[in-house]
Amino acid sequence: MRRRHRDVSAVRDVSFTIAPGEMVGFLGANGAGKTTTLKMLCGLIYPSSGRVVIAGYQPQQRHPDFLRRITLVMGQKQQLLWDLPPMDSLRVNAAVYGISDRDANRRIAELSDLLELGEELTRPVRKLSLGQRMKAELLAALLHQPEVLFLDEPTLGLDVNAQAKVRQFLADYNRRTGATVLLTSHYMADITALCPRVLLIHQGHLFHDGPLDRLASRLAPERHVRLELDEPVVAEAFAGLGRLDSLHDREVNLRVKPQELTAVVAQLLDRFAVRDLEVNDPPIDQLIGDLFRQGRL
Amino acid sequence: MRIFGLNRKILRVLLGTEYAHMLEYRAEIALWALSGVLPFIMLSLWNGSDARSALGMDGVALDRYFLSAYLVRQFSVVWMVYDFEDDALTGRLSPYLLQPLHPLWRYVARHLGEQLTRVPFAAAIAAVFFLIQPEAFWLPSIGRFLLAWLATWMAFTIAFLLQSLIAALCFWSERASALERLLFIPFLFLSGLLAPLTAFPPLVRTLAEWTPFPYLIDFPARVLAEQPVNLLAGFAIQLIWILVLLPLVLLLWRAGVRRYSAMGA
Amino acid sequence: MGRYFKSLRRFWGTALATQLEYQVNVLIELVAVGLSLLGSLFMLSLFFGPGRELGGWSWSEALIVQGFYTVLDGMASTWLRPNLSSIVTHVREGTLDFILLKPIDSQFWLSLRTFSPAGLPEIGLGLMLVAWGGHQAGAPLSPLGIVIVLVMLLVGGLILYSLWFLIAATSIWFVKTWNATEVLRAVLASGRYPVTAYPAPLRMLFTLVIPVAFLTTVPAEVVLGRANAPMLFLGIGLAAGFFAAARSFWWFALRYYTSASS
Repeated sequence: MRRRHRDVSAVRDVSFTIAPGEMVGFLGANGAGKTTTLKMLCGLIYPSSGRVVIAGYQPQQRHPDFLRRITLVMGQKQQLLWDLPPMDSLRVNAAVYGISDRDANRRIAELSDLLELGEELTRPVRKLSLGQRMKAELLAALLHQPEVLFLDEPTLGLDVNAQAKVRQFLADYNRRTGATVLLTSHYMADITALCPRVLLIHQGHLFHDGPLDRLASRLAPERHVRLELDEPVVAEAFAGLGRLDSLHDREVNLRVKPQELTAVVAQLLDRFAVRDLEVNDPPIDQLIGDLFRQGRL
Repeated sequence: MRIFGLNRKILRVLLGTEYAHMLEYRAEIALWALSGVLPFIMLSLWNGSDARSALGMDGVALDRYFLSAYLVRQFSVVWMVYDFEDDALTGRLSPYLLQPLHPLWRYVARHLGEQLTRVPFAAAIAAVFFLIQPEAFWLPSIGRFLLAWLATWMAFTIAFLLQSLIAALCFWSERASALERLLFIPFLFLSGLLAPLTAFPPLVRTLAEWTPFPYLIDFPARVLAEQPVNLLAGFAIQLIWILVLLPLVLLLWRAGVRRYSAMGA
Repeated sequence: MGRYFKSLRRFWGTALATQLEYQVNVLIELVAVGLSLLGSLFMLSLFFGPGRELGGWSWSEALIVQGFYTVLDGMASTWLRPNLSSIVTHVREGTLDFILLKPIDSQFWLSLRTFSPAGLPEIGLGLMLVAWGGHQAGAPLSPLGIVIVLVMLLVGGLILYSLWFLIAATSIWFVKTWNATEVLRAVLASGRYPVTAYPAPLRMLFTLVIPVAFLTTVPAEVVLGRANAPMLFLGIGLAAGFFAAARSFWWFALRYYTSASS
């Protein structure tokens, strides 16, 4: 049994613990310090106060044994040498991490299989597409089989296809190796697809720690119901059926608390001649965007 | 009137922005000015050497020559090929090529802006020099000063055209700036930056005078240091070099741009 | 330790591969080295003539100094310039983070990550010049002498490296003042000539502050068999001191780098 936990005082009174094998998404407004927090967790920045413990190590000491257990991938920066094929950089990394040639070859074969990388590994990096480059970056970052992955915007700038592939790979990797993954991303799809648990730092505090859908229901406690009726109805007719948002002729918008939803929908269908009925959740990234813009709930 | 797209108004705007831009790099430029100390190191060597008498400069003349050489270098140094290469590699060049202004003017403006930023640093170094060697102090007459200024700008023009030739080669091969090194080495040894040309053996000196290099440092420095020098011949040869290089640069440049746009880069 | 050796082998293997991507540049570099040496010898010859000396050094003795300068200049272009000039790039582009997260000494990585074979001929030419000058000047040749020469060359290399690294490390604070290494290079050019040829204040400067003297003049004196022991020990002491300074300065710089959020 490996015991591993982290306590972080990242911004102000922010503490959390992440269990081995978890995939955790990190949300925050631009400049809220997501990258800073990530850097603090991997030991690139000292916390001015508070304590960080990762796998039993204090990151800021950057002990070689600690560094061998983690990796950092930054979407907007690359460690691969621009003029050389990724393979050369991989060999350098293998030597630096003290991986034997045989192990290195085996791991490169395995990972390139998962990442669907082939002859790209022997072409100069500058001739690769952005997606291929990112996959090669991932390979370079994972060669030493780290247990903890810090990913800062790993899908930045990639097209939708490449994003999906990177996402798929990360999910597979986590399942196969049981590695812990901490991820920031601008693309909510990354977070929804990968992270059962989400941390949201807002105005220096840990605003949310838990599943994404719980965050959604916290941010938007009411659901949207849109009705299209056969005939116009007066506003008073909707008394007791949630909150009336708008009423235009035969089009009605209501907001309803989740626990009342079934009852309200049943009554609506019962009382009115309904041509069409839709229940919507506002998209989560819009909700979070609203939160960051307004600064509060 | 527009000369290759340049008129008075564009000139004023370009110079103003480039000067403001260069002011941002004051610290860098101060260090560049300081890194030009080579003439002073050579001066201290010549002063203590047995070979000094062969230079044909007595007393403070040598001090003045090397200080002048330093100043001329400060206001005629050219680095456009590096900027150009950067612009070409990063793709900033393409929009320049579309504008109704010859791109070389931009680089000229950058250099002039930078020269302006250098004035206080060069003056400070000259002041320190005179503090150490007060007997070397001199003020050239207005006429001499203006002539030296003209000679320095002509030197700058020649150096700029030479480097533009190399820059134009960047259209054919990335990183042509490596060739600049090959241009710099003969410049270093033949321009008079390390020793006045009078120190050279007659044969080498004659050969050197067939190259543009002595007219980049030695000639303007002699004008500024009030050394005996054939003004008419010096300016005439500077002018000839400009007239030879200018059409070459323009031709090569035009061919390069055609190639560059043909490749759709 | 084995890991460091293996890393070094990989570092230089990839460096060689990068260089081969730009073969023309290697060729240009070769021509430049030849021309540059020719020019330096020409410039040096201007100080000499029948019965003339430079700071008490004869022509063939001064050739030894010039030879050591060439060796160190070659060392700078094979090793120092390609490596240390990338520090500022790593800081500017934020890729220093990747290096700090490698389980290997960051100074080791930054100082030895790459090398440029183009400077090797220069080192060879410099050594030949030293041998030729020594032969002409009738320098006594002994195994011990050769060992001391090598030690002093190491001392010179270490001083040069430490000075250069110290300045390059300031780019952690001032990305723009990386040009300071250009100032250093300009001052180092004074090492082309024997230090005794300079006036007294400069001699002091070149011995103690920016110890150019230990880069070229002192090794040349060793070759000529006229170096004195205190000077050699001073050189070794300075080299150790400068190296320790460079190392602790790097740690200090990293503490700053990692405490600032960037």
